[in-house]
Amino acid sequence: MRRSGSLVYGEYQVFDAERFKLTILDVETVVIKLRGMDLSNDVAIQVEGLTKRYGDLIAVNGISFTVNRGEIFAFLGPNGAGKTTTVEMLECLRKPTAGKAYVLGHDISKDKESIKKRTGVLPQDFATYERLTVKETIQYFAGMFNSHPDVDGLIKQVDLEDKKNVLFKHLSGGLKQRLGIAVALVNDPELIFLDEPTSGLDPKARHVVWHLIDEFQKHGKTVFLTTHYMEEAEVLADRVGIIYNGKIVALDATDKLISEYGKKNLLILKKTSSKAVPTIEKLGIEANFDDATGDVTVHLNHAVTVSEILHELSSADVSFSELQVKRSSLEDVFLNLTGESLEEDSKV
Amino acid sequence: MSHVVLDLKASLKTFLRNKSTIFWTIAFPSVLILLFGAIFSQSSMKYDLYLQNQDQINGKATLWSDTIVNVLNTSNAFNIHILDPSINATDYAITNRLSSLLIIPSGFNDTANMAVSTSGSVTANVTFIYDQSTSSGPVVRSIVMNAIERTLSRGVHYLSVEDLTIAPKRFGYIDFFLPGVIGMTAMTTSIFTAVSLSARFKENGVFHKLATTPLKRYEWILSRTIYNVLISYLGMAVMMILGLTIFSMKMTVDPVSLIMVAMASLMFTGLGMIIARFVKDPDGADAAANVVTFPMMFLSGTFFPLSQMPQFLQTIAQVLPLTYVNEGLRSAMIFGQPQQAILNTVIITALGLLSIFVGSWITKWEED
Repeated sequence: MRRSGSLVYGEYQVFDAERFKLTILDVETVVIKLRGMDLSNDVAIQVEGLTKRYGDLIAVNGISFTVNRGEIFAFLGPNGAGKTTTVEMLECLRKPTAGKAYVLGHDISKDKESIKKRTGVLPQDFATYERLTVKETIQYFAGMFNSHPDVDGLIKQVDLEDKKNVLFKHLSGGLKQRLGIAVALVNDPELIFLDEPTSGLDPKARHVVWHLIDEFQKHGKTVFLTTHYMEEAEVLADRVGIIYNGKIVALDATDKLISEYGKKNLLILKKTSSKAVPTIEKLGIEANFDDATGDVTVHLNHAVTVSEILHELSSADVSFSELQVKRSSLEDVFLNLTGESLEEDSKV
Repeated sequence: MSHVVLDLKASLKTFLRNKSTIFWTIAFPSVLILLFGAIFSQSSMKYDLYLQNQDQINGKATLWSDTIVNVLNTSNAFNIHILDPSINATDYAITNRLSSLLIIPSGFNDTANMAVSTSGSVTANVTFIYDQSTSSGPVVRSIVMNAIERTLSRGVHYLSVEDLTIAPKRFGYIDFFLPGVIGMTAMTTSIFTAVSLSARFKENGVFHKLATTPLKRYEWILSRTIYNVLISYLGMAVMMILGLTIFSMKMTVDPVSLIMVAMASLMFTGLGMIIARFVKDPDGADAAANVVTFPMMFLSGTFFPLSQMPQFLQTIAQVLPLTYVNEGLRSAMIFGQPQQAILNTVIITALGLLSIFVGSWITKWEED
């Protein structure tokens, strides 16, 4: 007997037969199908002990993590850390050597077609038929998904309206990525994979792409992105997983990672006098004077605020030419965790 | 199927927007035809035909046998070498490795007369000895038979009275060359498209992107194959229009030659995909495609007949698939003998299915 409906457990609707196009025969079948996976609506990706070996090389080494629905999750690490291998396993482009992963509840090794239909992918350096226009490219990929998106709306969304009849080969790197993002949206995916979405782009183009990614979240989409740009993860991600040599070395909400593993924020007073040091230390915080530059540096803690320090300096009549506050960043987190810096081009 | 149509439409749009592809598939072969056709229009490609006329009375050829010799002479298709009636022609053919020898037996005149008067209930026989392993033998045989049959069936009405106009079709260099260019274009288009597109798509990640859509690999391969067949047909149509208008050629398009061109495209597409699997980058792909297409272009009887090549090159030609394509097209389109091309078409179809199967099997979108 064919029945459709949903399976409700407690307050969670754990199974929606309409969405999964599954015929419920009896409870036992459903239990078997649910075993080992978390189909609850708040999990988009669940990874358990995922491993990928190439001969002796272990590219991804038994990683486990969960990506919640509606969040922007960033996988941060240097080139060769295993980011792309991981994302390509989740996109069903590579077979894992061991471990399990579920994308939107589908097993990546068994249910590729369902995953492909419900996810959008922006590969590293999006490329397609060189001699199709922006509009034709979107129509081509929409046709592949048998979907009928509002093509002009998508073009507007990625701000390519004045380029819609330009051939792909004539687009700049940034515009190609924007088209790639529009293409990743043709099937109105619930989850979007972005593999190094701004790699090689200039800062201006990078900010445009960031804005687009930020918009996804407002439309309720889940984003899984890989990057080796600290700032990108910091600006965009709700949570960050730091991957290094195939292993996840840290995984938490972005600000928690920074407060836990980052250095303290730094206050720098340029060209001031040595008198500043005792004045500041009166507040119970350490200050250092550099004879060569005449600068005073202070490692800030939660006990003292910048305004208290400024107030104290002004009362003691201590002047300075410039004031800088250096915020602790993911860069510090990464350095702290791995003892290494990301490549030079990681600075944005 | 809608995916195939979609990809095919995209590919054809791409073709029309790519000047260099249009040049290599249409303009370049057209220039070849115009140039070579003009250069060699005076000379005709002649086959060697040895002829022994045993039907002689007092050292003089009989009427019918003499007519046949004249018809073959005026066809301009042969360099005719006359053998003395006294020698053993079969032995001579074997020892001298002749590719084709026509023997008109004694008494031919009488049986021919009888054949004409009885409207064909008696048949007049000639003996044709030819080396099946050479490419020219079967072709020469079909031209000779054609000429003789025309002479016999029409002669009773026209030959004796008007003494003219039974010359069979004259074959010039262009008749030889044009089918070769059609075969060559099908080969270069299909191999280069398959090799360089596969290598490029692999290198710049288009396969990766396609693999994340519901488009199936076999659908894409099917689309590329149909595309190559269509482009080869386009090339064929342009060559034929040139031949018909500029060189006033007479040729026929029959199902056999159409199937041959389609199967040749299929075979070379598969071959291209196999090559693409073993090259690392797009530059290497073009080099590899050149390594395969260039020798085939020159050794498969595109520019000059195999019989003019040294024996060892002829042996090599026998294993090159383009040889079978060219000869099949020539028999069907030019000599009007499609049945002569059936075996070649079967061979090419078999090779085509094999290569497209292997090519599809080893072309991977997803990595291990």
